[in-house]
Amino acid sequence: MTFTSFSYCLFLPAVYAVFHLLPERFRPAFLLCASYVFYSFFGAPQLLVILAGTTLLSYFFALRMAAAASDQVRWTMFRYGAFSCLALLAAVKLAPVALPAGFRAEHSGLLLAAGVSYFIFQAVAYLADVYLGVQEPEPSLLTHSLALAFFPKLLQGPIERAGSLLPQLKAQYVFDYDRTRRALLLLGFGLFKKIVVADRLGQYSDIVFGNLQSMTCLPVVLGTYAYAFQIYLDFSGYTDMARGTALLFGINLSENFNSPYLASSVADFWRRWHMSFSRWILDYIFKPLQLAWRDHGNAGTAAALIAAFLASGLWHGISPGFVVWGLLHGLYLAASVYYRPWQRRLHAFLGGEKAPMVRAWRIFVTFNLVSLAWIFFRSPSLADAFTAVRAILHPAGSLALARGMDPERFIYTYVTLQYGFAELAILGLSLGVVLLARLARGFPLFEKPAWFRWGIYYALFVMIVFFGVARDNFIYLKF
Amino acid sequence: MTTMETLNGIFREVFDDPSLQIKPEFTADDVPGWDSLSHVNLILAVETRFRLRFTQKELLTLRNIGDLAAAIDKKAGPQA
Repeated sequence: MTFTSFSYCLFLPAVYAVFHLLPERFRPAFLLCASYVFYSFFGAPQLLVILAGTTLLSYFFALRMAAAASDQVRWTMFRYGAFSCLALLAAVKLAPVALPAGFRAEHSGLLLAAGVSYFIFQAVAYLADVYLGVQEPEPSLLTHSLALAFFPKLLQGPIERAGSLLPQLKAQYVFDYDRTRRALLLLGFGLFKKIVVADRLGQYSDIVFGNLQSMTCLPVVLGTYAYAFQIYLDFSGYTDMARGTALLFGINLSENFNSPYLASSVADFWRRWHMSFSRWILDYIFKPLQLAWRDHGNAGTAAALIAAFLASGLWHGISPGFVVWGLLHGLYLAASVYYRPWQRRLHAFLGGEKAPMVRAWRIFVTFNLVSLAWIFFRSPSLADAFTAVRAILHPAGSLALARGMDPERFIYTYVTLQYGFAELAILGLSLGVVLLARLARGFPLFEKPAWFRWGIYYALFVMIVFFGVARDNFIYLKF
Repeated sequence: MTTMETLNGIFREVFDDPSLQIKPEFTADDVPGWDSLSHVNLILAVETRFRLRFTQKELLTLRNIGDLAAAIDKKAGPQA
């Protein structure tokens, strides 16, 4: 069951109503059952087994670590726990590559991996935190199970830290009118971002990336930008819905995005994009490697960055496109280790890093570097990705087509790819709403008069109903 | 010089800020320029000055400057 499915429209209110009416002592167990039911809707029983297995492994090894007499034993327990969880992840990720094609076709349900990478990363983070002594092991199997299975964050995160989630799951639920209002607005706005904006952008980027062989420079550039915003609004729309759902139950999940395309460097991008995941990569892969290789100076840091982002690529799936995507980000960051001192001098010469022109230039360059990497992430194959890059490097292709053609016809045929004015206007309007919401961050909507608030709710509702496009699932569901 | 005073000198050198005044409760957010890249330079500078070698686990559990000072004292003995 995904957040945009019809069954979720029935599931969420039903679960919330029962949860609300139940006595407090039954609520955690009920939420856990509801989460497993939610997960079972994928019709893939092995997913439930992997979730339960990860839960038991992390629970057991965390308690063993706490009971261990020496650091040596704790380290051994940590390795057993983390490796067994990661082995499950590797098995799930390798299945689509390693199993024979005939078997894959017959048992496609066995290849589903929805949620696995997220809850296994959360389990490994929990084990690492217990090992490092920054987190007490959770004595209650029920609370620990709920921390991993809690359905709002089960399928696509955020990858929560035990330190932030466990205390909230143990706190008593009290109904709060304001919190519930915020939750519903987040749910509605997330749905808008996903089915109105992201999916509309996806219609365009799908045409471009589905026909790369016949595309010239301009549509490939536009298709790449469309995909950059599609994947952002798809994933941040999902995250809003996850946070909105959790908030109904009184749980604050972490924020995953902070205007990532306003980042002024690739490092800054990773502080703003899929933040719960990038913190995981930073804390549990990059930092340990960087510290282990600290005697090699900049080379050690650069190597740790490349290794961490290679792992990040592989987390998305075992395919050459994801590996190149991770490698590109690793190389961007590794290169910045070396050129940063020079860059600082240059910025100081140009009036400082905060000077408007310098900042605008940095945002522009960062967005394009990130977009270039998205080409490898999105393209059906590595060969297609290189076709796309070649098309971008040959603007003459678009120019040759434009020559001797009526400009309006050229734009309609080769730039908007037969999208009419009405469709473009809807897309522009929806993007405008997202931009407006960003500019209005911190705007006290709930303090405004009822007619104003309800005007906004209705507008959002009308746009979702009339401009929403029914399409595939969330992009990050498959990772 | 106490451990904190020596540390303050190291911070001023690493972050190139002669007026920097550190406090035990400071974290990376309180010191301009203290990111994951300069962190490793800081650790290397501390290890060289105090002639010690931290383990990975010791480094990964540091929460603030106070923790760093305590880790130094534990390894090298308190500075007079």
